[in-house]
Amino acid sequence: MAIDESKPMGLYIHIPFCSKKCDYCDFVSYSMDHKAQQLYLDALFTEIDMLKSKFYDRVFDSIFIGGGTPSIVYEGFIASLARKIYSSFHFLDKTEFTIEVNPASFTKEKFFEYVQAGVNRISVGVQCLDEKLLREHGRIQSMDNINETFKILKNSEFPNVNSDVMIGLPGQSKSSIVNTINYLIKHNVKHISTYTLQIEKHTLLYNKLKKGKIKPVKDEEMVDVYNKINKVLKKAGYFRYELSNYAKPGFECKHNLKYWDDESSYLGLGVAAHSYIDGYRYFNTKRLDTYIDAMNDGKSAVYSKEYVSDAERRTERIMLSLRKVEGLDLEKFKKDFNEDLLRSRADSIKKMTELGMIEISENNFLKIKDDYFPVSNSIIVELL
Amino acid sequence: MDRQEKIRNFCIVAHIDHGKSTLADRLMEYTNTVAKRDMSEQMLDSMDIERERGITIKLTPACMKYNYDGVEYTLNLIDTPGHVDFSYEVSRSLAACEGAILVVDATQGVQAQTLANVYLALDANLEIIPVINKIDLPSADIIGTKKEIEDIIGIPCDEACEISAKTGLNIESVLQSVIKNVPPPKVDETAPLKALIFDSYYDLYKGAVSLVRIFDGSVKAGDEILFMQTNKSFVVTEVGIFTPQAVAVDCLSAGDVGYIAASVKNVSDTKVGDTITLKNRPVAKALDGYKEATSVVFCGIFPLDGDKYQELNDALEKLKLNDASLHFTKETSLALGHGFRCGFLGLLHMEIITERLEREFNLEIITTAPSVEYKVYDNKGKVYDVTNPSEMPPMASISRMEEPIVKMEIITPKDYLGGIMDLCADRRGVYHDMQYIDNNRTKLIYTMPLNEIVYDFFDKIKSISKGYASMDYELAGYQESQLVKLDILLNGEICDALSIIVHKDKAYQRGRTLCERLKTVIPRHLFEIPIQAVIGGKVIARETISAMRKDVLAKCYGGDVTRKRKLLEKQKEGKKRMRRLGSVDLPSEAFVSILKLDD
Repeated sequence: MAIDESKPMGLYIHIPFCSKKCDYCDFVSYSMDHKAQQLYLDALFTEIDMLKSKFYDRVFDSIFIGGGTPSIVYEGFIASLARKIYSSFHFLDKTEFTIEVNPASFTKEKFFEYVQAGVNRISVGVQCLDEKLLREHGRIQSMDNINETFKILKNSEFPNVNSDVMIGLPGQSKSSIVNTINYLIKHNVKHISTYTLQIEKHTLLYNKLKKGKIKPVKDEEMVDVYNKINKVLKKAGYFRYELSNYAKPGFECKHNLKYWDDESSYLGLGVAAHSYIDGYRYFNTKRLDTYIDAMNDGKSAVYSKEYVSDAERRTERIMLSLRKVEGLDLEKFKKDFNEDLLRSRADSIKKMTELGMIEISENNFLKIKDDYFPVSNSIIVELL
Repeated sequence: MDRQEKIRNFCIVAHIDHGKSTLADRLMEYTNTVAKRDMSEQMLDSMDIERERGITIKLTPACMKYNYDGVEYTLNLIDTPGHVDFSYEVSRSLAACEGAILVVDATQGVQAQTLANVYLALDANLEIIPVINKIDLPSADIIGTKKEIEDIIGIPCDEACEISAKTGLNIESVLQSVIKNVPPPKVDETAPLKALIFDSYYDLYKGAVSLVRIFDGSVKAGDEILFMQTNKSFVVTEVGIFTPQAVAVDCLSAGDVGYIAASVKNVSDTKVGDTITLKNRPVAKALDGYKEATSVVFCGIFPLDGDKYQELNDALEKLKLNDASLHFTKETSLALGHGFRCGFLGLLHMEIITERLEREFNLEIITTAPSVEYKVYDNKGKVYDVTNPSEMPPMASISRMEEPIVKMEIITPKDYLGGIMDLCADRRGVYHDMQYIDNNRTKLIYTMPLNEIVYDFFDKIKSISKGYASMDYELAGYQESQLVKLDILLNGEICDALSIIVHKDKAYQRGRTLCERLKTVIPRHLFEIPIQAVIGGKVIARETISAMRKDVLAKCYGGDVTRKRKLLEKQKEGKKRMRRLGSVDLPSEAFVSILKLDD
């Protein structure tokens, strides 16, 4: 299937440093000193230099610096990185520039550095306001840190803040989540990402679970909380535009929307970053030393690559579109994959429509109804 | 000395694990029939499954030469299957012999199948040669075992051979005892050919080959032979003996054991128990004792993947080439699609066939609950033989039903007597007799319905008695019974593959267990699924699988897409492997759950 190369791309940069790994985290991160950070920045520069010529005719309209903990790196790191990318790729005027910060390492100085570098969206890793619970799960931030972070943002009237909220931490009460949500509403956060905790292998939490030290939260409870959040946020003027993302109108995350569109390309830089470019997916090495060595040797950081076949594209289209509230464009699907889902999956669609799980809008988009987002996986499998 | 004077035809009877196959191996080794270096453990058990289970199903004869007192004797060992499923085959093998070695494990004593087989041997007027095995083991009780044989079976044991088949101790005494005690065949070489088929197998080049004992006359290549039951005639292409490999000889004469190949296309033409004679000089009367092999246990076999139907068909055809007692016809189930209704000699036979389908043919199959053959009388007096619950006439039109019963013999140490009697009572057993074998062990005799033992009776007996009790049964006709058809409804639709025929008094319990079991194996769906057990429209048990509340709500960003796609693809694959009934997806475990019903 052809790719529209004129569509603006996204740029992701991974900062793999944390002062301490949270128990539930399976992201790639290392705790490293100033020297290591410098080596990493040099390596990023090298990667950018190696790749920039390939994208000389492409435009970008989103930047996302994620981690790890991007706010932990030394002052000047982000500014220097920003200068480098501006001088290497073409960006549209209204480029969205997000950085993830952890309240424990976020400071006024860093904030000014980010703003000057062009950052116009800050994503605060709040997760939960229950300090005791957070500490239990190995997260370092305190309530003071969080208050301080929002004070800095408020004082400068920073307009576009996202916060991540985690649902389903063992031991977490429904009221503590609602408190967290209300706190964010009060602080005028424009975008909220809710995650239900996935207990991944190779995490501390997984081991605790295996040893029976903690109990996983029951599905019923999680759904209950999830629905409650949905209600609270809707009332406060947020709308859900994706399975786990809420925003005030106009504040949807441009960068993340690319991940849910099989026709949008994005370039990932740094250790463990992923790219999806013109139908190919690339995976950078997950090892920091390997990455830095590769860059020093002028070799590619990519350790594996896959071509997404038409059949896989079809699966991804269904799976990603249905994450979004706008749903799956059936006309476009027919055109792109030469398949009329209304015929090929007639039985499933009929059954699920009767059960009130999905609906087909007037403009022929198939969408999952609000109450059934918690079972979207099963619904998607029916349509594959 | 006449030729026949130097022939001994004998078999070995024993309970499972008492060392029959090991002894056979040793005999071949001591007679140099098989060089020691060529011996693999248990030479005669030619199928892998047999070897793994340590039981012999298929018979392979062996012709051994042994010098005794300066005379070379021909010793024909006919191995016999040691399982009740094959008792007819055993009886035909015994009919081909003049003597039987009775092997008893000195650490275990007489067991149920020892008795069953020894009675068959006595019925066949065989000379019994008692052999006490495993005397090398510390727990061997030689004197006690001898006493048991004398007391229970009534065979004098003064001269019984005391051996260890494993170590080879006293093996020659067995050979000598066979020569001294087993009478040579009484035959008439000049009479018309009279040969008993005690087994057959299919050979790619020779066709269906009959394993025979020649009673009278002789046969050679070129003779035109007649199979008296099927009344078909063929020209002999080859005769031979087993060393134990098949080796062609010029002629088989009265008293010999060997094989006859005559380009017969189907093993169904070489029926065990049939008499072979010469077309142009037939005997007046066939040998007694012929019976048609009848199926006792039935079940449906379906390919897990519906596309593999043809492969399953081919595999069954191939198995049938060598196993005339396997029956199958096409069956179509709403839940399982196309498959086969298969008939077996017994449970072990069924297990062997299903295992061979999976192992030798790499097929994944679903088997439905084993059933027996019921006789259903309708209001107009018409009788139906029902082996498949879904073919049962409507309850309203039935005037009465009969089910097959068996005579069951169980030998158990008395510690487990209570548990076993409880089990028999629970399985609708009718107590007949209890005999004390010795201070410790007791023989119980019951009659019980066959359908109560086709599930897991044997396993239960073993687990109650920690493996010490043994059982044996024989069919004992039909009796009238209050039977009902129990249906399972999933989301309101009958799942035909889960229907069973069950006694009225047990229907409620079975229905409830089955519903509970299904609840645990059927995955949650997007909607609620009621599971109902129903008899003739009346719901007797119900469970509900509540709707799925949550699957995965997790984040999905750049790096997660591939992983997530693969996860969904896997889920879709898993779904494809399930059977869809209406709107309910059933995993194959659902069909297995019916097999293990009483916990």
